[in-house]
Amino acid sequence: MRTTTTTVLLAAFATLLLTAPAAAQERDSIPGVTLGLVYETAYQPALALKPFTGRFGGAVAATQVEAIIGRDLRYSDRFEILDSLPASLTGEGIDYQLWDGLGAVWLVSGQVEGAGDGFVLLLELHDVVYGEVREQARFRLPDPMDAGFRMAVHRVSDTVVEWVTGEPGMAASRIAFAMPDGNGNKEIYTVDSDGENLRRVTDHQGLVLSPTWSPDGSRMAYSSYKSGLPRLYQRDMDTGQEEMLPEVRDGDHITPAYTPDGTRLAFSVVGGDRSGLYTWDVARSCCLTSISGGRWYDFSPSYSPDGRWVAFNTNRFGDRVPQVMVMPADGGEAETLSPYEYGARGYYTSPEWSPRGDLVAFHGRIERGRYQILVADMNDRGRRIRQLTWEGNNEDPSWAPDGRHLVFVGERRWGFGLMVVDVATGRTRTILSGRQVSVPEWSPSLGPDR
Amino acid sequence: MTLRRFALPILVAIAVGACGSDPPPPPAPTGPTDEELAQARADSIARAEAEAERRAAEERAAREAEEARMAAMEDARETLQAMVFFDLDESALTDQAQAVLRRKVDVLRASPQVQIRIEGHADERGSTEYNLALGNRRAQAVREFLTGFGLPQSRFTIVSYGEEQPLVNQSNESAWSQNRRAEFEITAGANAINPPS
Repeated sequence: MRTTTTTVLLAAFATLLLTAPAAAQERDSIPGVTLGLVYETAYQPALALKPFTGRFGGAVAATQVEAIIGRDLRYSDRFEILDSLPASLTGEGIDYQLWDGLGAVWLVSGQVEGAGDGFVLLLELHDVVYGEVREQARFRLPDPMDAGFRMAVHRVSDTVVEWVTGEPGMAASRIAFAMPDGNGNKEIYTVDSDGENLRRVTDHQGLVLSPTWSPDGSRMAYSSYKSGLPRLYQRDMDTGQEEMLPEVRDGDHITPAYTPDGTRLAFSVVGGDRSGLYTWDVARSCCLTSISGGRWYDFSPSYSPDGRWVAFNTNRFGDRVPQVMVMPADGGEAETLSPYEYGARGYYTSPEWSPRGDLVAFHGRIERGRYQILVADMNDRGRRIRQLTWEGNNEDPSWAPDGRHLVFVGERRWGFGLMVVDVATGRTRTILSGRQVSVPEWSPSLGPDR
Repeated sequence: MTLRRFALPILVAIAVGACGSDPPPPPAPTGPTDEELAQARADSIARAEAEAERRAAEERAAREAEEARMAAMEDARETLQAMVFFDLDESALTDQAQAVLRRKVDVLRASPQVQIRIEGHADERGSTEYNLALGNRRAQAVREFLTGFGLPQSRFTIVSYGEEQPLVNQSNESAWSQNRRAEFEITAGANAINPPS
């Protein structure tokens, strides 16, 4: 059945090529590339949350802490979560047989104590199979009314993920994006990884796009039309101080990205006498370097985590067929990453290299006028491409700090939203809906006070 | 009867006595007749009217010339500001776009002080950042066409707004085709626009 369909499609495609070469860009599948839900057969152990208890006025906070951690662990897509269990069922002590009977492999228990103007959480991770405490730690938490409360709890969630899997979590992070402010402007906003805590970052009374985080999360860069023309700005996220980077060349300054060491900012200058990718040393405020360019436009750079390579978008093959390419970080010969065969190229844009280094995500026009999220496997020199979304339009993927989740802009019948897909399981959720969001960028893991 | 007999000499005596020995007065000027007065008045009115008419005609002609000049300037301004439109994911200029731009060349040659900002736009489809690049390519293509006619590059600046400023805020082919465009803003010499010579 599948073969028949493919044959028919190929025949139709061949006919299209013969009769109308221009129509070849709009086709129903990517020729020569295996698309499919090739998910890892990820074992998801059951993790139970014993209802958190409170002492010295910590009861209310305990309930809130448990709820946030429960959702964070669910959103990590690494466990089957058993939570919101009645305290009468679970009893006071830890009865491993009871938890084993419920199917739990891991058990998290917590006690929240009032302490001065905040709380202390005593957290324990139990190995139910072996019937023992595997890890335990104390965390200081601010008052739930305090602005830093949720992020402090998210960091606890990431600690649990690291205890169990040895891998980084993504709960203590934010997603920056551009969104209309209701007064005809488009400004930068952030939400926490779970879609809560919407905050406005910029107030340029204008158009601000392409936010990007420094590797330690302390700074953000973006392009803005504040001065009348698109220029780059860098903001200190702790103080809110902002500076416009110098106009290094004639042309629109767009699509910034930090190098993995945070000292340089790569970006695109287009429309001047030499368009292309440049880097600027933001630490010393000097040293403009051209890494690609000419008459064509290269833009949307994204570095491999080791800093040796840069993926970017280019129109050097024509306006109709933007391609994702990879080249050495200092410039040099570029290779096309996006799929093509028989000289037919498609529409592929918005690359972003995963913090694990193994995948590059981008989006492509797959069906007629439909845009879907794709990932290329860099261990296979990008030849294996997987499609992660199938419904509506999906654009501008950006990696979570755990290297397995992507946030993207989803367009559905109900409107636009920020959606998150787990690359390992394909599980997708909407974390912010009903808003005309664009160009989301996931932060690195954010330490205390961020 | 007696009265008539004395009346004449008395009248004569009075008349003679009145003259006395003075030289005879010049003949009293004969004043203009009523007809003459009326005629003169009519003539002067006619002259004034003719003069007024002449002035009005002059003013009208001047006004018409000014209006024609203003209209030509307005035409020239509209020619400069006329948008050009693009095909999907293309920065190549269509025949229609080239015709619109060709008319701009003539105005720009006649108006050397005029400077233009070319703003490139894309429709909402495709990625935000790619559309920034595409909008810039469109503005660039327009600038290259214009400078290809010998107009100095320094008269043009370009900027892309990507998909951020749609002309028609709808999601259909008609809206998209109007949103894929270049707009022209006069940044200098707006009072020195001359129609093509």
